[in-house]
Amino acid sequence: MLDTAAQDREVRIAIAAEIQGSGAIPSAADVAARLGTTTDAVFEAFTRLFAARVLILDAASREILAFDPFSTGPTDFAVSAVGREWWGICGWDALGIPAALRSDGTLRTRCGDCGERLEVSVTGGTVNGPEGTVLQIGPPALQWWKDIIFT
Amino acid sequence: MLLFRSEEHAARWRERHDLADAATMPLETAWRLAKAWYERKLDPDWRRHTLEEAEALFAELGLVGEFWRLRPK
Repeated sequence: MLDTAAQDREVRIAIAAEIQGSGAIPSAADVAARLGTTTDAVFEAFTRLFAARVLILDAASREILAFDPFSTGPTDFAVSAVGREWWGICGWDALGIPAALRSDGTLRTRCGDCGERLEVSVTGGTVNGPEGTVLQIGPPALQWWKDIIFT
Repeated sequence: MLLFRSEEHAARWRERHDLADAATMPLETAWRLAKAWYERKLDPDWRRHTLEEAEALFAELGLVGEFWRLRPK
């Protein structure tokens, strides 16, 4: 029997493998099927991984909302990479998707102020976007996980 | 954590949302931050950055000052 740290590691690796394999955030049932364990055991691991800030859970369903930088969608941050469509929960995460996939990618979002479409590309490890584009972070770093959905 | 077409647009958003202390960074810095933060997330041996590593990364990217402080006073 694995201890909880080992269980959590297996669940984290299974989530990553599901994302790489299917391009989607897996459900607890998906992870349980992959690992040959129970859905309840996976939900318990999800809760511990949320406490350890490895992922973000949907408060109602207890399913994964984001395994940052990957998020369930749709969100306002769409990313095309490795022939698939992905979602980020914010601009920082959306830029992290091609980084995590170690691929090129194109991020499509809108200016947070005026709503104008913004398209940013990552090609060969270099980022390109409209001149003057900035990322803005609202809460100071110490407050990010006090309300991670707002952040 | 939104993208804006310019510093002026970001400033307007800060004013509307009463978040005067929000921080902005150029796209290049945001990319370097995202890359360093997430490039290993899918690796089996991934682990969270330590506090010291996160502080060093912020400093390397010029993300310094009260906003970027990670230790409570």
